[in-house]
Amino acid sequence: MFSYHLRLALKSLRRNPVIGGLMIGAIALGVGLCVTTLTVFRLMSANPIAPRNDVLYAVTLDSWGGDRPRYEDRPELPPPELTYRDAMALLESDIPTRQVAMHKSGFVLDPVHTDGAKPFLVEARMTTNDFFAMFDVPFLYGGAWNDATDAEAQMVVVLSKATNDKVFGGVNSVGRTIELGSRFGIREFTVIGVLDEWLPTPKFYDLNNGAFDRPEDVFAPLSLTPALLLGTHGNVNCWKDEPIDSFEDFAESECVWMQYWVELSTPEQVEAYRAFIDNYAREQKRLGRFERPLNNHLRKPDEWLDVNAVVQDDNRVLVGLSFMFLAVCLLNMIGLLLAKFLGAAPIVGLRRALGASRSAIFQQHLVEVGVIGLAGGAIGIGVAALGLLGVRRLYNNYDALTHLDLTMGFVALSIAVCSGILAGLYPTWRICRTAPAAQLKTQ
Amino acid sequence: MHLRPILSAMLRNKTGAILVGLQIAITLAVVANAVFIIVERAQRIARPSGIDSENLFFVQSYGYGPNYDQLATVHHDLDLIRSLPGVVAASVTTGVPLSNSGAAQNYSASLDPDVEDFMVNTYFVDEQGVAAFGVKLSAGRPFTEAEVQYSGEQTSEFVPSVIITKAFGKRLFGDEPALGRTIYDALGQPATIVGVIDHMLGAWIDSDETIGDVVFLPRISWGPDVRYVVRTEPGRRDDLMMEVERKLSEADLTRAISWVRPHSYYTERSYRAHTRMIALLSVIAILMVAITALGIVGLASFHVNLRRKQIGTRRAVGARRVDILRYFMLENWLLTTGGAALGTILAFAFGQWLSTAYSLPRLEPQYVVIGVVVLWIIGQVAVYVPARRAAAIPPAIATRTV
Repeated sequence: MFSYHLRLALKSLRRNPVIGGLMIGAIALGVGLCVTTLTVFRLMSANPIAPRNDVLYAVTLDSWGGDRPRYEDRPELPPPELTYRDAMALLESDIPTRQVAMHKSGFVLDPVHTDGAKPFLVEARMTTNDFFAMFDVPFLYGGAWNDATDAEAQMVVVLSKATNDKVFGGVNSVGRTIELGSRFGIREFTVIGVLDEWLPTPKFYDLNNGAFDRPEDVFAPLSLTPALLLGTHGNVNCWKDEPIDSFEDFAESECVWMQYWVELSTPEQVEAYRAFIDNYAREQKRLGRFERPLNNHLRKPDEWLDVNAVVQDDNRVLVGLSFMFLAVCLLNMIGLLLAKFLGAAPIVGLRRALGASRSAIFQQHLVEVGVIGLAGGAIGIGVAALGLLGVRRLYNNYDALTHLDLTMGFVALSIAVCSGILAGLYPTWRICRTAPAAQLKTQ
Repeated sequence: MHLRPILSAMLRNKTGAILVGLQIAITLAVVANAVFIIVERAQRIARPSGIDSENLFFVQSYGYGPNYDQLATVHHDLDLIRSLPGVVAASVTTGVPLSNSGAAQNYSASLDPDVEDFMVNTYFVDEQGVAAFGVKLSAGRPFTEAEVQYSGEQTSEFVPSVIITKAFGKRLFGDEPALGRTIYDALGQPATIVGVIDHMLGAWIDSDETIGDVVFLPRISWGPDVRYVVRTEPGRRDDLMMEVERKLSEADLTRAISWVRPHSYYTERSYRAHTRMIALLSVIAILMVAITALGIVGLASFHVNLRRKQIGTRRAVGARRVDILRYFMLENWLLTTGGAALGTILAFAFGQWLSTAYSLPRLEPQYVVIGVVVLWIIGQVAVYVPARRAAAIPPAIATRTV
């Protein structure tokens, strides 16, 4: 029976190729556009650390002062980063299973061992050693440094895969040395690990310095920051009018530029840590700092991404608009189907008169609608692939964002078939109510 | 031509009319809002920047090592760059206008704590700063070589003189002229305004209120990084970028040239989200109008086919071709108008929602008006083809039995 319906459906589509093509084309365009914007939206709002979402927390303290909040348009938010002195104070706590204080910096890498190569700038992340374990960072060679290395501020470095490829041609460089320079002079750093390909998108651990930037080129102990008087390559925001003429001034200032994350495995730990940071803030208030009301937060990665508005409003607007576009496509299809089905009403009347049951007519038309939906969906995937190709041109350095994966292909097909059948229900219902006698009479 | 028969025909096929009307309504709501957003973004991108954007490029040098000397490096580099034929002017700079990143400081017109202070985008430049950015002074003078400070790590000390934009002057002093007045930094140190820039956009493209607020300070940063802004004669930028990169890299100094980039690199990057939005919204708007137009064509063709016999009959009893044509055109006009009426409400509701939920600007009514006119035209054009086919139906068809 199904194959008979299918044959009828194809025959009916061939009878009106323009109308059929219009319907399939409308569904394909509607679905293609929706899937394109949804793919961009989904990847922009992806949580790259989802497996650890329940144990990781971004720590923020309201260290801002004066009468103005950090963001005038969002007064409920504390600054997204910490001052250096607060980050150092929090590191003293032994409540978290793991914790990381860090900031962005940079060095000139002088490839002294490669003839003719020019020195180049590398972005660096100065961090405590828990960074790698907390954020599931994959290693190709070697591994992270340990607590002793942090404590002694040893000159060790973990290279990104790209940096290792560039400097050492991709071989296992653990134990070899590189020359890193900055204001402090130039020092020899020992390679202790090399990362495998790692591209957390968005870069959840530091959203305020380019949320869609790549991770840094090199990673080194945070304790080198005071030892080598390193500056930050990230944003610095200050509220207090205070002279800053040295690293010590900067470290003691009210400027925020440090990112801070903790790993808390149990609810008791979360409660204890919350109490700890609130107590710390109260203590600072007694010392005359933290002038604003208590407003400290522990935020899980998904909440952190949300609060920092990684998904631009523009993307939401586009998704909304593309679904309205799909709605227009479906209205279009309903109108065309209705016209088409009713145009064929005499044939239905004839079939009914010859004994076809109402349910058989219903099934037959539903199959026809399903075929249109399926064809529209299949072409829609093609349209979405084309759309994403176009989007990739628009988004340049957002390559990682614009892949059409199996899930989205499945989503495309389901949207197409569901919306096709939804759009087909009313016309199908109408045609089934055809009274055979009435149709035959007009002949 | 009476509307009555058209309306009663429509009422007999309510569903079809409602479907087309709804399509037109949604199309109007989406297209009016989309075009409004497109125009708003395009205007933002097209704002005059006040600087000679097309002929500017920027260089960053990053020093390292125990022998690195920031001041000597800056002097070496600028002497070299300025000596190249085709270079109009070159200066140190700390930031890049319209790059979405930069430095900001608080300044006030008075030491009185009750007088409001303002956060403003700042640039360290030297005596060629004004010429190198290509900004026009509406009053005063550029910095002199003697005014340019270098104080190593002691960066909290203020400079004796500043150049500010007219827009920032207005914020500080209202309508009084800013030239010769004193401004105070956050530590209460004074500086005299020696020049007023007619117009210049600062770093953050979406800070609509304050983007015209800029202050130039005569100073060379502590380092170890330093940036240069280079302005070339028209058409020489790309050649000179390569030449500057090569010559600076060859110099025997312990530093890396981290990049050499035209100003367009930054404007493209900063405005990318907006160009992207423009492109995607345009695609959605165009497709939507196209689908609606095709839907009108398809549906009208169908109705023409269904009504062949009636049309033939009407022709047989004396209707002219133009009457038939007019019937379908008028029917479409009524449908479009009904849809547009609903669409106008939808458009404003949608615009209201966009402006509250996504803090976009409020939809301006002229976009809806233009949208209605465009939909009228498109509807008439779309229905014309099937209507003409209807008009061509011969009266003889009435006498035939199907």
